[in-house]
Amino acid sequence: MADSAPKAGRDVSSFSADSRWHKPVVGLISVGLFLAVWEMAPRLGWIDPFYTSAPARMYSVGLEVFQSGELMENIRVSLVEFCWGFALALLAGIPLGLLLGTNATARALLDPLVTALYCMPRLALLPVIIMWLGIGMESKVVVVLIGAVLPIIVNTMAGIREVDPNWARAAVSFGASRLDVFVKVLLPGSVPAVLTGVRLGLGRGILGVVIAEMYVSVAGVGHLIVTYGAAMRVDHLVFYSMLVSVFGFAAVTAVGKVEERLQSWRGD
Amino acid sequence: MVIFARFKSFWLGTLSFAVLLVLWESLVRLGWINPFLTSSPTDIAVHFVRQTQSGELSVNLGVSLLEFALGFGGAVVAGILMGILMGWYRLLEYTLEPFVWFLYSAPLIAFYPLFVIWLGLGAPTVIAITFLFSYAPILVNTASGVKTVDKELLRAAISFGARRSDLFFKVVLPASVPMVMAGLRLGVGRALLGVVVAELFGATAGLGYSINYYGALMQTTDMFVSLVVILVLGVGFTQGVAMLEHRFDSWRVGHEQ
Repeated sequence: MADSAPKAGRDVSSFSADSRWHKPVVGLISVGLFLAVWEMAPRLGWIDPFYTSAPARMYSVGLEVFQSGELMENIRVSLVEFCWGFALALLAGIPLGLLLGTNATARALLDPLVTALYCMPRLALLPVIIMWLGIGMESKVVVVLIGAVLPIIVNTMAGIREVDPNWARAAVSFGASRLDVFVKVLLPGSVPAVLTGVRLGLGRGILGVVIAEMYVSVAGVGHLIVTYGAAMRVDHLVFYSMLVSVFGFAAVTAVGKVEERLQSWRGD
Repeated sequence: MVIFARFKSFWLGTLSFAVLLVLWESLVRLGWINPFLTSSPTDIAVHFVRQTQSGELSVNLGVSLLEFALGFGGAVVAGILMGILMGWYRLLEYTLEPFVWFLYSAPLIAFYPLFVIWLGLGAPTVIAITFLFSYAPILVNTASGVKTVDKELLRAAISFGARRSDLFFKVVLPASVPMVMAGLRLGVGRALLGVVVAELFGATAGLGYSINYYGALMQTTDMFVSLVVILVLGVGFTQGVAMLEHRFDSWRVGHEQ
């Protein structure tokens, strides 16, 4: 783990030493407590289980939809849509970000447009995209793409520009060509920022595929969420809502861990 | 030199916007693309005026802004308070951290149908989604602002006889303001997203509702009117908070690089 170096000022609240296992253990206990309360509250009659479902029911629902094949089939649809969209976002976003980071004219031309799109809630375009591309997979792929590509562009661009100019100067004085500077200094130097973009884009992309499927679709986990929601089948609804949430959480956290490890690549 | 560079980039930026609009308009006029699908800048301007005069736009804008204000306002108050507590009390931080990160990175819209079951269709659900979307970034940044206050400052204050409450109010709080601002900047965009998306799914008024409504009627131009307004709101809010953040940047106490 990359948390070995204590951060500056880490000890405001209490001045006692903190052991490594303290944090995960407390976290586990609190999540466990939360699940226990969620399970017990309806049983004790504190809340109506119709509105909240319960963790134990998640298990039986999960087993049921897994055996019926519903789970895997819809996960497959959602994942395929997401992967296409996200792959396109990486393929378009990183080169465009590199271009905007290195070329001042391209930046001047496109920066206002990129910034405007970056600041706006792009998922508002969803009905327009559906109108253009229909309710099938294509529209979901594009929604993931426009959700994910802008954080990737913006962070890649920032990453290139944040690279310490002294490094480039040092490389040049040791005889590096422009290409050398780009490949050996700017590219590696911008990797942490690119990963930040990838992490943010990942979150946006997953949100995009879920929203697009929830808005209108014929298959996918988002489709199931809306269907079970409309039917007020809260157990199934909560199961799928938790499923995509845990997936999003896990994916973003995983990229965050890689990002944390590569922080040392950032020049300061 | 710098002024010239700024001047140049301003004009190049304006130019690219203008070219885009002219291109869009002329492709439609030349019949190369179907205005039914893409509308055109002049049509959008005409419909913008019509929606403004009929009062439709101001009603939708008003509803969205109110929902935004309540959801985001609640997130700001709750996020900052909770963030300060989490930054100050480590046990609380460890206890809540898994939930906060879950809230931060999960596609929360998946819980939208559940909120509809709990709160009904309409403004309360929209406000709740807006709150949830923007709460986590504000909380996380506030907590890390409180947590990462420069130790030297604390030591200096202690040597001059500061009590714990002094440390908190005179050192930690002011020093964490820049991070709080960064949290607001991240939160404001997500709050707007929350309003628009929640309105897309189910509402009786608002900009997102209007897009959804005209989308169902296939009236592209009217959809674009709301989209343009949302674009302007997004840029305006984000830039506004960024300017605020910039103003408080001098409060940042850190080691000079």
